This record gives sequence, structure tokens and C-alpha cells, in this order.
Amino acid sequence: MKCKKVRRLLPLMAGGDLRSSRISAVKAHLERCPECQLEYDAYVLSLETAKEWLERDRKDWEESEWLRAVQSAVTQGKPKVSPLAPWPFRKAWAYAVMGVLAAALTLLLVVKPFDTGEGMMPDSGVSSRTQARLSGSPLEESQQQIVKMTMVLPETGQKIIWFFDKNFTLEVNE
Amino acid sequence: MWMKNEDELVGEALQGDHSSFEQLLRPYRQGLLNMAYRMTGNREEAKEICQDALIKVYKYLHRFKRGKSFKNWAYKITVNSAYDFLRKKKRFEDTVQKQKELEWSHSPDPERQYRNKEIKDRIEVCLQKLSSREKAVFLLRDGDGFSVEETSMILKCSSLSVRTHLSRARKKIRAQFERMNLGYREEVNNEV
Repeated sequence: MKCKKVRRLLPLMAGGDLRSSRISAVKAHLERCPECQLEYDAYVLSLETAKEWLERDRKDWEESEWLRAVQSAVTQGKPKVSPLAPWPFRKAWAYAVMGVLAAALTLLLVVKPFDTGEGMMPDSGVSSRTQARLSGSPLEESQQQIVKMTMVLPETGQKIIWFFDKNFTLEVNE
Repeated sequence: MWMKNEDELVGEALQGDHSSFEQLLRPYRQGLLNMAYRMTGNREEAKEICQDALIKVYKYLHRFKRGKSFKNWAYKITVNSAYDFLRKKKRFEDTVQKQKELEWSHSPDPERQYRNKEIKDRIEVCLQKLSSREKAVFLLRDGDGFSVEETSMILKCSSLSVRTHLSRARKKIRAQFERMNLGYREEVNNEV
């Protein structure tokens, strides 16, 4: 390890915060480099002095001040206990769940009515009857008022759906 | 005397027992005050920050996750309150810092500067060279003895970030120490 790199690590080494994987390499360098060792000693000394200063100049509350501060905190910061406690989620989670529910409801109410699938079909047996009629079979016996015809384009897979009144007649001009 | 653990005290405080709340915070009251004091360099402002932090602790006590360290949580709230306070007072603080530096470097009485009872000034001068984040990291790790991992949890940052800021803080403090010693030698030489 070179001096430049070691000196970058010395502040952490001085406080014992260097990763264990690097400690041995730094120690080995310090043993053979007196200049870096001096730097290291200076860091250790400054850190110890600073810690000592911090320890010697510690402030404390006067008892009456402290009790007043706690009393003031209790009166000013009443805890907001949710009526749903012990509800495990935070407010953000509750909003997220509400959002998802709202989106699902919107899909149900808005998107579904425009769906051309099974939901709009008057009768599931209509298609076969329509096909029967188109192929020439009589449909008079059916009680169904509206019939549906679906055409699927084989090239694109696109579906075209027609709804016909019961009395609709198909005229084909040949 | 049987001592209640923190989780029990939290539960009782949530039920509205004010003395439990006081007991919960009592072991950390000095640490929290000193943390705020070192961040601002002013005792009255430190009390203001602590008051704000105590209100927040009580207000959001229901959010505290049982089984976790209450000490870390209380420190986190205090450090955040100190940051808020410093943001609001930034301009004012800059002015005070300049005044103190001036006072330190041009004081006509070197004896006064280097007496042991002037420790407060020395610490302040050292700490004022640090950014808010560096100061918080240095005070938590070297002042209050939190581990790097605990410090990272309190400050909501990575261990790598804590190590980086800690390294910078120690470098600056060492440089400041050298500057002080150099100033002292110069003044002694001038006297001779």
C-alpha cells in the first residue's frame, strides 16, 4: 500500500473504524513508514483530545427545566393514536390501498360497460342460432328478440360483431 | 428496584402516563441536549431544539417500533430537529461563525485562549469548521459512542457515507488543532 492511500485511511484507522480487511495492510505500512506513523499519531492525539474536550464540556438540564420541557412536550404533542390501532400500516400504505381499490372500482364501472364481450350478449346460445339462420335454417321458433353475429378475420384476427333484431332478414343479391 | 424496560414504558406513555414518558427519556436527556448544543453552539438554542424533539417524540410515539432502540430513535428525531433549526437560522449562524473566528485569531490575550476553562470555545471553533452532516456524524460516533452502523441508521444514510463524513470531520479537526498550536507558537515567539 502506498503512502497516499494509507494517509487517506488514517482518520478512520485512528478511531478504529477501518474495515478489518484493511487494518493489517495499514498497520504493516505504518511499521515501515515513520512519516505515516507520525501522521497517524497526530490523528490519534487530536481525536483523543477532541473526545476529552467533549466529555469535559458536557451540558445537562437543571431538574426543573427538564421537567418543564417534558410537561410542555406532553401538552403540546398529544399522540395521534389511530382509532384503527393496532392498525399495522402507516398512512401512506392506507392511501396506497385506497388508490388501488379506487382504480379497481373505476375499471369495473367505466371500462366494463363498453366491453363487447360476454357481458353484452343477450343470450349465449344466439351465435349458433344465427349461424343456423345464415346457413338457411328457420329461426321463427326462437323467442330471442336480438341476435348476434360475430365475424373473425383470419388475416388479422380482428372481430366484427353485429346485433340484429329478430325480424331482420338477410337479402343476398347474386 | 425493578426497572421497566423501554417497550413497557412506551406502552404506558401511549396510554397517557406522563411519568413513564419522562422515565423513558431521562437516561438520554443529557446526550440529547449535548447533541443539540454541539450542533448549534448555543445552550438556549439547544434547549429549543430539544423541546421540539421532545414534542415530536411524544407526538409520534405510536410510530415507534417496539423492540428497536428507543435511544437511536430519539437521537434521530433530535438530529433532524437540529437540522431544521440550522436551516432556518443559516444566515444568522454564518455571521456568528465569522465573528467567532475573528475573535479567535485576533484575540490580544493568548493566555485566555489556551487555558483549560476555554475548552468550550475550542470545541466550538473546531466544530464550526464542519458541515452539518460531518458534525452530526462526528458527534454521534466520537462524542456519544454510537457505532458506524448505528450512526448510519440514525442519519438514514449508508455506512459508507458515514465513514466518508467521519474521515473528513477528523481531518478537519486535526487541521484545526494544528492551526491552533501554530497560532500559539507564533504568539509565544512574538512575545519573546
